Amino acid sequence: MSLPSQVGLSLARRGGLERVTGACLFGVDLAQPGDLHLFALRAGSGPARIQRLDLAAARAYPGVVAVFTAADIPGINRVGIIAKVKDQPILAEGQTRYPGDAVALIAAESLTAARAAARLARLELEPLPAVSDPRQALLPGAPKVGEAGNLLWEARVRKGDPDGALARAAVVVTNTYTTSKAEHAAIEPEGGRAWWQDGLVVVRASTQNPHHDRHDLARLLGLPEEGVRVIQAETGGGFGGKLDLGLQGFLALAAWHLKRPVVMTYTREESLAATAKRHGLVMEYTSAADEQGRLLLCQAEIFGDSGVYASYGPAVCVRAAVHASGPYRVPHVEAHSRLVYTNNAWCGAMRGFGVPQVALAHEGQMDELAQRLGLDPLEMRIINALRPGDETATGQRLGRSAGLVQCLEALRPHYGQWRREAARSEGQYLRGVGLGAMFYGIGNTAMSNPASARLEMDAEGRLCLFTGAAELGQGSDTVLCQIAAETLGWPAQDVRLVRGDTARTLNAGATSASRQTFISGNAVQLAAQGLRGLLLEQAAALLGAPPQDIALDHGGARAAGKGLPLADLLRGLQERGVVVQAVGDYDPPTTPLDPASGQGVPYPTYAFAAQAALVEVDADSGLTRVPQVAAAHDVGRAMNPRAVEAQIKGGVVMGLGYALMEEYTPRCSNLHQYHIPTIADAPRIVPIIVESDDEAGPFGAKGVGEPALIPTAPAVAGGLAQALGRRLFDQPFSLERIMAALMEGRKTERQKDEAGS
Amino acid sequence: MRLRFSLNGQAMDLADMDGSQSLLSLLRGLGFTGSKEGCGVGECGACTVLLDGLSVDSCLLPAAKAQGRAVRTVEGLAQGESLHPLQEAFLEAGAVQCGYCTPGMLMSATALLERHPRPGDAEITEALEGNLCRCTGYQDIIEAVRLAAAKPERKP
Repeated sequence: MSLPSQVGLSLARRGGLERVTGACLFGVDLAQPGDLHLFALRAGSGPARIQRLDLAAARAYPGVVAVFTAADIPGINRVGIIAKVKDQPILAEGQTRYPGDAVALIAAESLTAARAAARLARLELEPLPAVSDPRQALLPGAPKVGEAGNLLWEARVRKGDPDGALARAAVVVTNTYTTSKAEHAAIEPEGGRAWWQDGLVVVRASTQNPHHDRHDLARLLGLPEEGVRVIQAETGGGFGGKLDLGLQGFLALAAWHLKRPVVMTYTREESLAATAKRHGLVMEYTSAADEQGRLLLCQAEIFGDSGVYASYGPAVCVRAAVHASGPYRVPHVEAHSRLVYTNNAWCGAMRGFGVPQVALAHEGQMDELAQRLGLDPLEMRIINALRPGDETATGQRLGRSAGLVQCLEALRPHYGQWRREAARSEGQYLRGVGLGAMFYGIGNTAMSNPASARLEMDAEGRLCLFTGAAELGQGSDTVLCQIAAETLGWPAQDVRLVRGDTARTLNAGATSASRQTFISGNAVQLAAQGLRGLLLEQAAALLGAPPQDIALDHGGARAAGKGLPLADLLRGLQERGVVVQAVGDYDPPTTPLDPASGQGVPYPTYAFAAQAALVEVDADSGLTRVPQVAAAHDVGRAMNPRAVEAQIKGGVVMGLGYALMEEYTPRCSNLHQYHIPTIADAPRIVPIIVESDDEAGPFGAKGVGEPALIPTAPAVAGGLAQALGRRLFDQPFSLERIMAALMEGRKTERQKDEAGS
Repeated sequence: MRLRFSLNGQAMDLADMDGSQSLLSLLRGLGFTGSKEGCGVGECGACTVLLDGLSVDSCLLPAAKAQGRAVRTVEGLAQGESLHPLQEAFLEAGAVQCGYCTPGMLMSATALLERHPRPGDAEITEALEGNLCRCTGYQDIIEAVRLAAAKPERKP
């Protein structure tokens, strides 16, 4: 009896049962009786020079065990994911850069005591000149925020002859688009526990990148990496917000000094005030096409505020430039992207790394060009869509897995029906249907970003997968086990899993850049192939048949009418002293980008997607709803279709929030000021999976985590432009901006009426 | 203060309790960590529990308010090995991703189904509007509540 294929199967999510019974312990759930509680004293203002920090009263407060400052950090007090710009002190040294900086860390027998002690600290700050406008930050004489100057990063992509193309164009549109800073707002705030055990600092916390955490923690404590163990706690969502290291540093520092278990949880206020945001960008675009609607040119000048720290800024900067011209054939491209330090809240990775921002611009341009040419926006996109074998803006030749045309075609029935409905709409409700399309390079940009995985089989044939890939709710636990199971011929439900523990699993890199299905998936597949090789070799010896003639699965091996139970096979290996295990290492093939032209192969492959949104505006109140979204995603091959659809549905609603309401300002102290979509905002979503069988993906798979969100806001923008009769260029498309557009529309109509009468 | 209340059907009699702490803090201190804090100001609903059958934000409710009343948390939904129909439905519909909002969602949905055994979509939306989820996009959660409502073997 043969097993059905274990990939392409909508197996239930691993860890579901604990999550519905309340038994699952997240990073914030780990406190034990007797643990010390940590609380960070934040500056509350900045930039400023620390004139005086008197902690005597705080230290003397009953229950306080220790108070730490930067002077207590034994190693290097700089953390950051990008090796070239580790610029973030976890405790301020002499000065604060912005109000969210921590100046001291209090450890006490209770959180109440730690907080009370913090109020007794005497902190005197002398304000320093601040710069909040990123343009001014580049002027000579501007206050220096970055240690090596205020220009954090710069990237260019140049292809063809942009100036010549402009002269030949039939239509040219130039627009400036802006986006807000956005907050991840995972419902679980940052949390964890650390302790001292067998000469090691052990940190168990919510994180997206346990191995990188270990690296930076060891550096912070002046220890070899082996001196620190990081275990990923069950993590209640990340979206990029749990890639940076803040809380883990506090936990490790206190546990190392005190040799006692410590716990820490950020409040929502602290999470909003002190962690990374999505970069707000200003994007000046000039796009041109010929009479047939074929794109000739994309010129993009992208400028953004990184805030006080670099975090993932360089990755966002480069990715924005590389994706600036969108998922289209554009022969002439000139993209220039810069990120600048200021004294504002710092920005980092958030689901899409700059691509959700540039997608608003390149899709806005597509709609505007289509309108000028009298083309339907869907046809305009189909004409220009990248197809297999096409060349991207960086000169990369696409393989067979480029399914944007299929995605767009899959939207056609929904798009057509909604367009007809919108055209019939009258009276109070203004309706429009918009489109958004995107491509997204899988993995880190133009650099090595490997993953390893290990598989082990015990004497009873039980398979265990060891992976460092952090599960955040997106389903990598389930999918990686499916890939292992399919490669070996084992049932996926029987695969046991050890995940995200630097003492037990190999480095899989970050759960970011939609990379784990593709990159860890390949590593798991290679490990499974290695293990299968071991089993086949033994079976070949016992059956007297060549390995290629042997059928092998969880029941055992068979060849030429002879069968060998799995137990016998494993006993044979055991007798020979063979440990039945194998490691898989995979690093996606990329090349560095040429610094001047950005030419090169930044990614092994690209996900493609297109979404259509029906938008409805109440002409009186400006209230806007998005009742329907269709979302077609080329994921290569869906390892677990239900998990893919779940990512799409979740991404669409996050994208909807980005489109209509999400804007972080320092006044956003909690979720009543930073709004995210509720169930009442959620549209009816039709997820559509398109498969294109990637050459290099495990069983043809690519990734979907970030792509799910990217096309939504552009589609909403397009729908709004139709409904309002004018495009909004500044995201979010808030009630105030929509009302302003409605008023503007009425004014124009009045003027027309007056002119006509 | 001395605090007496019923927790998931079990009589609790706690001496020397700080009645001014939030009910959430009390529950979590007792080891019932299924109820979560997501915002501490009653915006996200991750802390939702049932107080005499009504869904409340336990982060806003002083523990003293539980005096003499019946508190139910996610830990009390299953009966032994047997899951509550809503728990089953959440798993079947794929309504759980990171799972952090799930306990609160389940409690709000429990209150709804006990009040309206056959809710329409409008009632489901209204009942869950105070529970934020950042992962699922809500559609599978709505589907799970529909599914649970349609289950024939629902217990009271």
